[in-house]
Formats: sequence, C-alpha cells, structure tokens
Amino acid sequence: MKKNRSGLLLLVLMVFALSLGVAVHAGPEPIKIGLQAPITGPWAYEGEMARNSVQIVADEINRAGGILGRPLEIVLGDDQGSPKQSALVAQRMLSEKVVAVVGTYGSSVNDPASAIYERAGLVNIAYGSTAEKLTEQGRKFFFRTCFRDDRQGSFFAKFATDTLKAKRVAIVHDNTTFGKGLAEAARRPLEAAKKADLVFYDAITPGERDFTAILSRMGKTNPDVLYFTGYYSEAGLVIRQMRTLGIKATFVGGNAAINDEFVKIAGLDMAKGALMTQEPLPKDLAYPESKSFLAEYQRRNKEIPSSPWPVYAADGLKCIAAAIKAAGSTDSKKLADYLHDKLEDMPGITGPISFDEVGDREGAIYLAYQVTADGKFVPLQ
Amino acid sequence: MVFFLEQLVNGLTVGAVYALVALGYTMVYGVMRLINFAHGDFFMLGSYVGFTVLVKVMENAALPLWLTLILTTVIALASVALLGVFVERAAYRPLRKSSRLTAVVSALGVSIFLQNAAMLIWGARYQAYPPWASPTAKWIIGGVTLSLMQALIMGVSLVLMVALYLFVQKTTVGAAIRATAIDHDTARLMGIDVDSIIRLIFLIGPGLGAIAGVLLGLYYRQIHFTVGWAYGLKAFTAAILGGIGNIPGAMVGGLLLGILEMLGAGYISAAWKDVFVFLILILLLMFRPTGLLGERVAEKV
Repeated sequence: MKKNRSGLLLLVLMVFALSLGVAVHAGPEPIKIGLQAPITGPWAYEGEMARNSVQIVADEINRAGGILGRPLEIVLGDDQGSPKQSALVAQRMLSEKVVAVVGTYGSSVNDPASAIYERAGLVNIAYGSTAEKLTEQGRKFFFRTCFRDDRQGSFFAKFATDTLKAKRVAIVHDNTTFGKGLAEAARRPLEAAKKADLVFYDAITPGERDFTAILSRMGKTNPDVLYFTGYYSEAGLVIRQMRTLGIKATFVGGNAAINDEFVKIAGLDMAKGALMTQEPLPKDLAYPESKSFLAEYQRRNKEIPSSPWPVYAADGLKCIAAAIKAAGSTDSKKLADYLHDKLEDMPGITGPISFDEVGDREGAIYLAYQVTADGKFVPLQ
Repeated sequence: MVFFLEQLVNGLTVGAVYALVALGYTMVYGVMRLINFAHGDFFMLGSYVGFTVLVKVMENAALPLWLTLILTTVIALASVALLGVFVERAAYRPLRKSSRLTAVVSALGVSIFLQNAAMLIWGARYQAYPPWASPTAKWIIGGVTLSLMQALIMGVSLVLMVALYLFVQKTTVGAAIRATAIDHDTARLMGIDVDSIIRLIFLIGPGLGAIAGVLLGLYYRQIHFTVGWAYGLKAFTAAILGGIGNIPGAMVGGLLLGILEMLGAGYISAAWKDVFVFLILILLLMFRPTGLLGERVAEKV
C-alpha cells in the first residue's frame, strides 16, 4: 500500500517536472489560431475532416518557419454542432487568447459565436456557414471562404426551369438557419421568373427519421422536381422514402446533401440519378494548390474529403496566415482591414480568394452534380 | 381517405417502435421508481450491434434472409440485455437506497457514457444498414402502400407486447414482478428475491429496446449514436401518455404517439409535429396526470 502511494507521488512529480520542462524549453511563443468545428455530435464527420485539413496547412506553414518567426498553434474548439455549445467555445477561444478563428460549419451554430467574436474584435472566418443573414448584420470581423446561399438559390432556379424544364417545383427545407435560408433563396428567383409553379413548400425536423407523412402530402401536388435543402443525413432518408412511396419527381439536393453517406443511406438503387447543386468538390478542383493539398490529405488520412467544406476551412487558415504576414502583426483589427481591403485573389486551395466589404467571398461557381450508377458524384455535363 | 389510411399505417409503424422502447421505461419505472434515461441508448446500441453482426458476420454467412434477420436480432437482444444487467449492477444497485435524484443523475451519466462509447467504437459518421438486409416487398391495398418491413415491425411489436403482457399477468414470475412493483419490502417478506426480479427487468427492458433498434436500422437503414436520445424522449413521452409504470399503457401510448405525429405531419406541417405531440403531453399532465391508463402509480403515491 505504502509503496503504491510513493509510486503515485513519483508519477505526479514526473508529470509536474515534464510540464515545467515544456514551458522552459519552448522556443518563440506560438501564434494561437482557433478552429471551431463540430468534432462530436451529428456533424462530427465534417468536423473531423475540417480538423485534418486545417492541420495540414498549419504543419506546412510551420515547416517553412512559421509566420513572423513564430510557429502556428491550432486551438481546437468542439461546438458539437450546437448553437449553445458554440457560444461556450467562443468564450473559451477568447480566454485562450487566439488571434483569429476558423469556423464553423453550420450557419445556426456560427451565429452566436460570431456575435461574441465581433464584440471582442476577433477575426473569424467561417468555412461552411452559408446563410445570407450572417453577412447582413454588418459585422466587421466576420468573413467566409464559402459562398452565400442566394447564389446557390439562383443557380437552382435557373437549373430547374432551363435545364430540367420543370413546370411544378416542390421545395422542402429542414428549418435550420442554413436549410431555410437556401430554400428561401431558391424560392425568390423561382417565383420572380414565373417559368414554373412552386406547388409545395414545407419543412421537416432534422434528427427525425420518418418523413413519409410530409412526402405523401407532397406527392399529392405532383411535382416534377423536389429541391431538398437539408443535410445528407436526412436527404438520404427523404429520397428513399419518397421512392418507396412511388413519387417519381426528380430529386435535387442542396450543397449539404452531397456526401458519400447520402448514397449509403439512400441505397444505390434509390440514389442513382439524384442531382445536387454544389460548389466544385475537392476531387474536381484543378488548381496547383488543391492538387498538392489533396495529395497530402490522401497520404495522411487514406482518403480525400468527400465534401468541399473542410477545404474551405483550410483556405480560412491560409487567409489568416496571409493577413498576419502582410500586416506584420497579430492585431485583429489590422487583420480585418487587410482581409477586407488588400487581400486580392490570394491563390487558395479552392481558387482565388478576395472578400467584399461585408466579408463574403467574391465570385461563385456552382455546378450540378449527379449520382452515377456506381454511386459517384460527377458534374453534370 | 387513402391519404388518411396511409398516414395511419405510417403512424402505427413508428408507434410500434416507440411502444417497444416505452415498455423498457415503464417496466423499470414500475419496479424501481427510476426513470432510466439511459434506456434510449440501449435501443441505440441494439441497432449498432445488429449493424455489426449484419456487416461483419452475416454478409459472408450466406444464410436465407429470414434466418439472418432472426439470428441478428437474437444476438443484438442477448448482448444488449446482458449489458442492461451489468449497468443495473454497476450504476443503479449501489444507489438503490439513495434519493431518487441521485439515481436519475446516474442514469444520465450512463447515457452519456454509452453514447460516447458508441461514437468511439463505431465512429461519429452515420452508418447505414446493408441494403440486402431489408426486405423490399410491398403491397398496395386500395391505394394504400404497406411495405413488408412495416408489417414486420408492427407484427413483431404486437407479438412481443402480447407475450410480455401475458408473462406479467399470468405467470408466477410475473406475479412476483407485480408484487415487487407495489412494495419491495413486503415482496421480500413474501420470499421474493427482489434483486433477481430487478435483474430480470433489466434483461427484458433493454432486450426489447435492442429488438426495436434492429427494426429501426432495417426500416430506415440510417443509424447514428445520437438516435437513442431522440427516440428515448419520444418513448418516455409515450410511457407518460399511457401512464408510466403501466405495461398496456406504454403500448397504447406508443401507438397513439406515432399516429398523432403522422397525422399532424400529414395534415398540418411536418415542422410542427413535435409541437403537437408535446402539447398533448402537457394537456394530459394538466388534466389527467396519471396518463391514460395509469392508476397504479397514483394509488401508490
């Protein structure tokens, strides 16, 4: 018994000595940059990929000697995909004294954190939050490397009426900030163009599994096209249950639906032929930066990201690094000014990056993807 | 009319799953006065064990589909039931003499533990049941679609519920369960081994949950480690609706909840269906706090 206790004491002392050693031997103080992502919770897979991606960029910068002679350190904050948790993560980031934050994935999750970062004057670059309202609040420190929903909504409206020749369109969203925002963004240009009728517009509850009730009600309106603007976890169930009910409408998903898991959940027989409106996927990126990034991702994780969001996260860190380097400072106000006014066509992994006055990324490229007979997503020619 | 009947079929299918899960809540509450918040996670584990068995073992076993499904269900049932007994021994029995709140906190702890364990074992991604495992046959009767899977879910639940009811009402062990539910000390004086009755409850409850979990996986195909919480809450509501502690009540509550949800979603809006469900729960608690069939708890209190 006594021996055990002294062993424990030794262990405690050793740990203590070790932590002292670390503190003493550290070189120049690292620049802390936050990554806020859903590491656990329903979107954990997205969070995991974002963490992998950002780490690659950080390692690359550190191998090249860091920025301003200081290494980068990523401070990870797990918001669990929940708005409540998101606010807690934001508080933690402030107490950790990070100089900027990359994050996060969901729009409704981003909102509370971004409000806190704004008050504290901390640059935050979202990588998957595409809801319009995020940049409509006049925030000075909020940026995003992903594109805004209204651009995708207009793309869908044009695609549905011009390419698919749809006359009757149904839209179903999932009541999240993102899903509802995209649904609204698709509805407006569709109604303005008057080329097709919006015959059905309703919402499901995310996290549910049974959508047969709403789908049979939708089936009665006999739509040519269903635009589902929720996430892949529900999209797979929606297309499966809709086909089981015998509804023939063309399924078009938004850019949260495109993920290998969509095919797995729906089953290949049901998913085949489904369409998605989407920014180019990582595998379809043709820039030199994307080629080397994806090769490194493949080497580390044995696969490349199945969704584009993790790559936008990596680009977020690149923007922050470029800003610190150019501004020669980690002062968040200087970084924000640089990102707003001076950053011009920075070669990102997802193409050239510039921000407009509200923090949205300039330009936008959307494609229609289709699920092939062997379950791959390919751009529709 | 066809639309109504279709919603009714869908509602009964979902309700049958709620009812199976609700039985576990109600039995544990009936005997131990404990709301076992970890129960939804037994259900979730059942679906994961079923998934693993199907993907790792049954895929190469080349057995007929019906035998595969029965074996998968039995393995899921057995392993989750054993886990249920273990959890009772480790997390609830030491607290049986403590206040009820302590036990509820322990149950919440078990729930978080099981969820995270599932996430670490099977990963944070959605997992999908293999497509070959779910029978796809369906019938269209007078315009109403009824799939074999739906019939299977309703049939299995019905058989299990009737069997459980008969077991509790007609057998000696059932009588011992009922006696323990009324009063532990008196039951013990009558020579009933209360510990083994509770162990039995923790075999049956999680076991039924596991069967529901496998059925859920086969029906919707998509499973996730957070599914236990969502279904647990619904099943808990179903148990309250029927009168917690009351076995037929849990069945009625589950079916009723499923039907209410589907009719709400079908006729009003899918986004509002939880609002209606919980509104009904609130009204019920205001005007008939013992639930629809629950008299026993009131009697005891």
